[in-house]
Amino acid sequence: MVEKKLRYPTGVRPLLIEETARRKRIESRFVNILEDAGFAEVVLPIIDYVDPYASILSRDNSRSSYRFVDREGDLVAIRSDFTPMVARALAPALDASQLPLRVFYRGDVIRCDASRLGVNRELFQIGAELVGDPSLDADVEVMNLAVKIAREFGVQPRVVYNDTSIATLLTDDERRAVATKRALAPADIARRLTPEIAARLESVAAALDPSTFALHLDDLDEDTGYYTGIRFRLFGPDSRKAIAQGGRYDDVYQRFGTPAAAAGFTFTVDDLD
Amino acid sequence: MRIAIPKGRLQDRTLELFAAAGYDTPSESDLRTRRLVFQRGGIEWIFVKDCDVPVYVEHGAADAGVAGFDQILEHNCSAYQPVELDFGRCRLMLIAAPDAPPLTKVATKYPRIARQWLEQRGVRAEVIPLGGSVELAAVLNLTSHVIDLVETGETVRVHKLELQDLVYEISPRLIIGKNAFRTETTKIRELISRIEEAQNATTVSRIA
Repeated sequence: MVEKKLRYPTGVRPLLIEETARRKRIESRFVNILEDAGFAEVVLPIIDYVDPYASILSRDNSRSSYRFVDREGDLVAIRSDFTPMVARALAPALDASQLPLRVFYRGDVIRCDASRLGVNRELFQIGAELVGDPSLDADVEVMNLAVKIAREFGVQPRVVYNDTSIATLLTDDERRAVATKRALAPADIARRLTPEIAARLESVAAALDPSTFALHLDDLDEDTGYYTGIRFRLFGPDSRKAIAQGGRYDDVYQRFGTPAAAAGFTFTVDDLD
Repeated sequence: MRIAIPKGRLQDRTLELFAAAGYDTPSESDLRTRRLVFQRGGIEWIFVKDCDVPVYVEHGAADAGVAGFDQILEHNCSAYQPVELDFGRCRLMLIAAPDAPPLTKVATKYPRIARQWLEQRGVRAEVIPLGGSVELAAVLNLTSHVIDLVETGETVRVHKLELQDLVYEISPRLIIGKNAFRTETTKIRELISRIEEAQNATTVSRIA
């Protein structure tokens, strides 16, 4: 047994006085911007049942959370992704007359990635959700808001985005080739777009600042998760790590009983200075 | 841009390939020093253990690198693999001790790949992870079988082991971190096409 006088479980640590003060300053700047933009805060539990999320989270995704059996014998997970939790919390009480709804959240998520460099990590996240607005304006609003927040912290952001619905236009083989090799040239994918998706991407591009936003048609993950439309990642000066990410996921709310379009983003605050 | 070069078996051919692609690679005298990081031609070359290349690239500690398909699979590495390289090919094989009983225990440096492969085959066997010299496990009857790389087959012959089954054909690949591709797209595309061209040129000259 290794002594545990000083050691914490891998990937977690306390913040002492100065770090806490810094974290609180960052938080309050976030909250100010989000409240000015019309977003209201919600607080979510740190654990929740695994069952309700089964249809939304991929196997890999749910395996990256800590899970355990509670005293009643139910499988419970520590929070590892806010977005589905926000949907589950809001869906039963959604009132069509109050849509669109703008909410934000903050708190820790804990992930147990099984690799040597990024083992179990506790991450402090702040994110926003725009619920009940399927329009392109909503996509543009969340993307621009993410950029505005990054700028507020002195970051000159670059955003790379794509439309995950492109995946449905490709064969399984093509999808795998794009996910493992980026084997299809963006021009080839552009030729395959349906008029509808092409028009949507054109309108989005026209509404975004081209010096900040770049469309990468060949940037598709093998598993697009719960995303159904735009998917974006925001980079700061460290080009190797995204500090925020988000997009559109119009199917999530209906899995919790009330259909509603939704788009949003999450910042991982530990990555901001 | 930071490029991870695998130390060991693939190092020399990897450096030759990058040099053929017109990159200013660390020289032999550089490499005789004990340093592991070199700045040449605007690129930071880092030398890491071959099994760590996918880890560095996956987590963005390097933008690109060269890694064997065995290491890519074992680390479940999500980096792009745009170019399959035509040197350093070998096979990941199931190898048995002489007169081995049915497969119940297998020693390997690749526990993740081994478990997946056994599962796909519907074989129930215990996987014993080892750090190296894996074939000894079969020679000394620690396990009846091992899963390991076979290049020339010399080790297998010397120890009178038996090649039983192909697990994977293994090739080294140029790998690119997903975020590097997103943010350094022009440079990365250039890297890929220069490596492809250099590889095609050497293949042609070898045939001619």
